[in-house]
Amino acid sequence: MRAMKKLIPHIFLMAYLLVILYPFLFVLFSSVKTDNQSIAANPFGLPDTFVLDNYVNAWVNAKISTYFWNSLYIGVLSACLSILFAAMLAFAITRMRYNRISAILFQCILLGMLIPNNSLMLPIYGIMRQLDILNTHMALILPYVANAIPFSVIILAAFMRSLPGEIEEAAVIDGLRSGGLFARIILPLTVPAIVTVFIINFLGNWNEFLLANYFLSNDELRTLPVRMVGFRDAYNMNYAQMSAGIVFSVLPVLIIYAILQEKIIEGVTAGSVKG
Amino acid sequence: MNKALRNPLIYILFVLPAFILFLAFFIYPIYTAIDNSFTSWNGISKDVKYIGFDNYATAMSDVAFWKSVKNNVYFILFSCLVQVPLIVIFSLLIANVKRLKGLYKTAVFAPSIMSTAVIGILWGFIYNPDFGLMNQLLGLFGVEPIYWLSDKNWAMLSILITNAWQWTGFYIVMVLAAIISIPKELDEAAAIDGATGWQRAMKITLPLVMPIISVVIMLSIAGAMKAADIILVMTKGGPAGSTDVMATYMIRYAITSFKHGFGNSIAVLIFVFTMIITALYQVLIARRNERIEY
Amino acid sequence: MKKKGLALLMSLLFVSSALLSACGGKGAEKPSGGTGGAAGNEPFEITIRHTQVGESKKFRLALLNDVVSKTEAAVPGLKIKLDAVDSEVNRKEKLRGEMAAGKPPEVFDVFGSPDAGVYAKEGLMLDLTPILDELGIKDKFTTLDPFTHDGKIYGLPIGGSIEGIFYNKEYFEQKGLSVPKSLAELEQIAEAIKADGKIPFAQSSKDAWIPLMTTNNLWSYYAGPEVTYGFKTGETKWTDPKVVEGVKKHQEWVEKGYFKKGELGFEYADMRNQILSGEAIMMMDGSWANSVFRDPEQAGDMVGKIGYFNLPPVNAGDPVVVMQDANNGYGFSAEVANDPRKLQAVKEFIKNMWTDEMQLRGLKEDGVLPAMKMDLETMNSTSDDPLMQDIFKGVSEIGKSFPAFDALVQADVNTALSMGIQQVIGGELDAQKMLENVQAAQEAANATEE
Repeated sequence: MRAMKKLIPHIFLMAYLLVILYPFLFVLFSSVKTDNQSIAANPFGLPDTFVLDNYVNAWVNAKISTYFWNSLYIGVLSACLSILFAAMLAFAITRMRYNRISAILFQCILLGMLIPNNSLMLPIYGIMRQLDILNTHMALILPYVANAIPFSVIILAAFMRSLPGEIEEAAVIDGLRSGGLFARIILPLTVPAIVTVFIINFLGNWNEFLLANYFLSNDELRTLPVRMVGFRDAYNMNYAQMSAGIVFSVLPVLIIYAILQEKIIEGVTAGSVKG
Repeated sequence: MNKALRNPLIYILFVLPAFILFLAFFIYPIYTAIDNSFTSWNGISKDVKYIGFDNYATAMSDVAFWKSVKNNVYFILFSCLVQVPLIVIFSLLIANVKRLKGLYKTAVFAPSIMSTAVIGILWGFIYNPDFGLMNQLLGLFGVEPIYWLSDKNWAMLSILITNAWQWTGFYIVMVLAAIISIPKELDEAAAIDGATGWQRAMKITLPLVMPIISVVIMLSIAGAMKAADIILVMTKGGPAGSTDVMATYMIRYAITSFKHGFGNSIAVLIFVFTMIITALYQVLIARRNERIEY
Repeated sequence: MKKKGLALLMSLLFVSSALLSACGGKGAEKPSGGTGGAAGNEPFEITIRHTQVGESKKFRLALLNDVVSKTEAAVPGLKIKLDAVDSEVNRKEKLRGEMAAGKPPEVFDVFGSPDAGVYAKEGLMLDLTPILDELGIKDKFTTLDPFTHDGKIYGLPIGGSIEGIFYNKEYFEQKGLSVPKSLAELEQIAEAIKADGKIPFAQSSKDAWIPLMTTNNLWSYYAGPEVTYGFKTGETKWTDPKVVEGVKKHQEWVEKGYFKKGELGFEYADMRNQILSGEAIMMMDGSWANSVFRDPEQAGDMVGKIGYFNLPPVNAGDPVVVMQDANNGYGFSAEVANDPRKLQAVKEFIKNMWTDEMQLRGLKEDGVLPAMKMDLETMNSTSDDPLMQDIFKGVSEIGKSFPAFDALVQADVNTALSMGIQQVIGGELDAQKMLENVQAAQEAANATEE
């Protein structure tokens, strides 16, 4: 009876796990089948003969590597810049002695959290056009950096506020000025929060589709999500090959996740509990 | 001490980069969106004609626009009424098992790290009427094929399921963290008093994680209001506009048919609606529990 | 310790200011190009924006390259820069953005209607009328209507197309079916195919323009192709019983199950796949689809087994009405007129691009119908491919041609019609109700235009 009782939650959880994981397996199995017909004939299991041509074709046709690097470098650079700017702002408003201005600034930034940034796509498109940087990676990096600022400031400010005031008293006695205080004392102490913010920002940038789809037009500049949709539209006839494309685009993320999953989950939860 | 932290130049230098970006990408766009929303600008022409509230009147009287609003509402309702209970149940289940906890946590979170666009593609395949997993599975039980993304009665639900598949795990992990951070003593004390697992969950755990559930609901609403990519990838708002949300409606008009002014009025409406819903939620529900303090 | 911290801070600030100035400064970097006046041999540059991207357009690109080298050779000092962008991206985003900023490339790929009209109205496109008069090729085009705005010509179509039915010839032979002479015959064939367990017509309606090819042709048969011209002026109405009858025919085909179930969610490529897999037997598509069916890589063993015929008239013997247009081509920046050397270059480009030779080459290599007038024999002798021969025959049978509806009505009406046809296919509305909605959108659009 007791054993049964212990088993019941596992049954539900295993069912949930199956729902989460089976789609991945389905795509993986489909990617080694010859064509649509063989998927239809044997949808659930592995085929008798493995066909790896799909991977070769998908790699050649979809040029995954180019887009992977585009996404990676845009995602990392934007996340780093937004953390840098947000940390500077958070430092100024939490640790420097301009309380009234700081309070107003912080309220402004809070307001930013409520703005659904998708709805501002058109005006931002207009700004990019005026700056004449549409169709360069800068057209994504700038809005990505900006979009991440409110969230990053809120988390980092909350973290910095919780640092005891004695730290900087000691530092100032040691002769550090505010710049040095920020770079040498506060920033290193904030690293746990920075990791959190970095991961969330990076994932957001890595997955972003809307701006990347409309702000870049040169094929070699595009990011992975946009390219995958293009690939789907072009090779829609052959689901087996499309599956191979999906595997290519999902695999790197899954590997990173497998290695960093502790850190990632920790980051997300710490961030949300604080937020 | 005060001197070091009261250097106006340094203060400005520290505040400026982030604040300029904030002004340039939040405040200024809102201003231009409002300004353009009163024009009939086609996005190209040099002379811009102001037409008062015409764009708003057009939107308000367009059946298709209200259909898109309704779909945003479905999005929110589905998140709050279907997803949130599931999130709570599964978080409680995971929190209370002793074995495999790590596996469950890792696996449920996996879909949230993937690109929405790729998930849209993956599920498009799963929903394919001929080869897709869904119909193959239903076929085993003798169910007639369902045209998931082609049938207006199913298309919206299909998207909602996909969205839930992607994000439920993310929120589970959030709620789970809150549950685990509850001091063990509370639970143990209740157990000694003879409370059943169910009672403890309802009387102790749930009230204590209410603030985080509140955050989850807020995030779901925000997510629902800006959902666009998953719809663009899976159905492009079709069939016949049955899966349009406000954001895709806006894109359809503003980007594909020279109606920049009108598109901006939709942007403003999305903005206003989000504000209203957030305010309503804060006043009606969050107040009663615990206000979220940042 | 103090210094190090400051250095770090300074470098951070440097990065941020570099970023900010990088975004501000880009605009000034644009090459100004050759400034006008000096008629010497100093090098100058013009940019051609084209859309010949990818494997399937390699023949087009080769053709363009030849024209480019001829043009460069003819104009001293000229260097032509080619800028390749995907067609859809160029049309919907890139060119629009450049037009809004007032600086399109000197030569660019453009759609005639409505795009070129919008740009021309803003004075952004070069009026080609004097150049065409000078070169004497104005009357050589099948039609320049899509590129004509207020009596002036703003662009030149690169090729033409017609829309009709591709069909599985092998299947027709096996079953003893022959090319239909009337809609009734076509429906009999569809019935026979359906009875055989196959899909009569392949169609993919996720993008509404695809089913609308059929609808457009049907209402043009029932109400006459002229009817579409009158919607914008208010002379004719979408609710005209004849138009309703035409759209009803499409609805009837949907109800009779002539299309694959669930096709409302399918992409364009899917319907070709239905033909290639033998699942469906006929398909309404543009003549451009021939390149797919002639390419062994895409069509496999179906190469040579696909034929083409025009959608037949309601009664056998009536004139055949076919969508025929030439809406895609090149336009030129209005700026070019300020620089005599650039104008010279553009003139030379036009002279080399729009020749019988180039048109026939496009036809032979790429299966694109000529945009310039060409007699059937010349075309026949250019390509002996049976599918191309079928398409030439289709062109020769045309009694009356009409431009696609989207060139004749406002974008809003197109949106309403797109929504409407999907609703009809989804069984949500009937033809009558759908056209009432479209008419309402038409009246609203007409009202704002005055």
